[in-house]
Amino acid sequence: MCASCGFPAAAGHWTEAGASTAPDRLRARFRRAEVLKAVLPSYGLTAHDGAQVPGIQLSTLSGSHTIVRDLEEVWATAEKLTGSPIDPLDPRFIGGE
Amino acid sequence: MRLTVLGGYLGSGKTTWLRHQLHEGALADAFVVVNEAAETPVDDVLLTRSSRIAVLAGGCACCTARADLLTLLKGICDERSRTASGDERLQRIVLETSGLADPGPIVEAIRADPILVHHIVVSEIIVAIDALHALAQLRGEPLGRRQVEIADRLIVTKVDAAEEAALARLLATLHTINPGAAISGAVKGSEVALPSWADAEPESLPDLSGDGERPAIFPTKLVIDETIDWTAFSVWLSALLHARGDDVMRVKGVVRTPAGRLLVQSVRKIVQSPEIVPEQVDGERREDNTIVVIGRGYRGDDLRKSLRHFAGQR
Repeated sequence: MCASCGFPAAAGHWTEAGASTAPDRLRARFRRAEVLKAVLPSYGLTAHDGAQVPGIQLSTLSGSHTIVRDLEEVWATAEKLTGSPIDPLDPRFIGGE
Repeated sequence: MRLTVLGGYLGSGKTTWLRHQLHEGALADAFVVVNEAAETPVDDVLLTRSSRIAVLAGGCACCTARADLLTLLKGICDERSRTASGDERLQRIVLETSGLADPGPIVEAIRADPILVHHIVVSEIIVAIDALHALAQLRGEPLGRRQVEIADRLIVTKVDAAEEAALARLLATLHTINPGAAISGAVKGSEVALPSWADAEPESLPDLSGDGERPAIFPTKLVIDETIDWTAFSVWLSALLHARGDDVMRVKGVVRTPAGRLLVQSVRKIVQSPEIVPEQVDGERREDNTIVVIGRGYRGDDLRKSLRHFAGQR
């Protein structure tokens, strides 16, 4: 448990396991943001991670935004904001319209 | 601590196998937890060779006795945490499930528990398969199939009692249901060689989902080539599991990342913390950068297209 925020210390999300050094971690964060920025707009969302503060910033087109901790929360929050899950097998991602 | 889950259908030889391993000293340092659905435990009597053992009787750990199992595991963790740093600490737990248990919900419950997730890594799901009765169970029992689907390692027991042709057919069937699992044979717990099943025809199993409309579960092999980086892959897989976690039952494979070779595995929506595995020693032939996805309700090719789409975003 973190003494300042009362949040149980997270074990680190599994998606962050591929980088063990600080430069690798930073590269991975930028790359993650890059993929999210490309994938989310078709659902009316955008993502931003400038690596200045922890977490990923999710915004809707109307300008409201929220900060989430990891990818799992990205998808859960995106589902809440848009009303349906972001499905990678949706035709928009597999080329069949 | 590493947790090995030992499952298998009723009477498939789980205890016999475990007993032999203990006798050989293979799991001598492990804490053994035995779960029996019946009120009267028997198996613990057979497992006297283990130094530490606990019995969870009168309920199946994947459903009715799940809370009891979590409490028991927490007790073990607690005791381990109190071990003085100079003393030897417990490294391994072996959970022998009851024959009625689906290992999936047990693993999910442990991953979802806020305390246990920090103490326990599920290292392997071993499922014992009865060489004589397994085909009948696979034909008629959804549970028998779920156990096979979820296993990392299948141990076919009572090999000496089965006819070779029937055995080869069983092996081919098991390989079709779960191509990712390693299959080995055993007689009274000692490892024995299995016949080749390359020429055997797998049994075509009837659909057991009840309504007859649920599509069959099938494996898809995804090759992670140099155009697909780990970060894009993890973004894609996390989205896939969020959207399709009920259909994607198992994901497993080794991927190369900047941090090293990473063993990735999930059981339904739960992803195990990826483990960095050592470089292959000579003779080892594990395929790197190959992920097997086992599930239903989609086309295998769509998985590949979708992954390429995600990875191609630059």
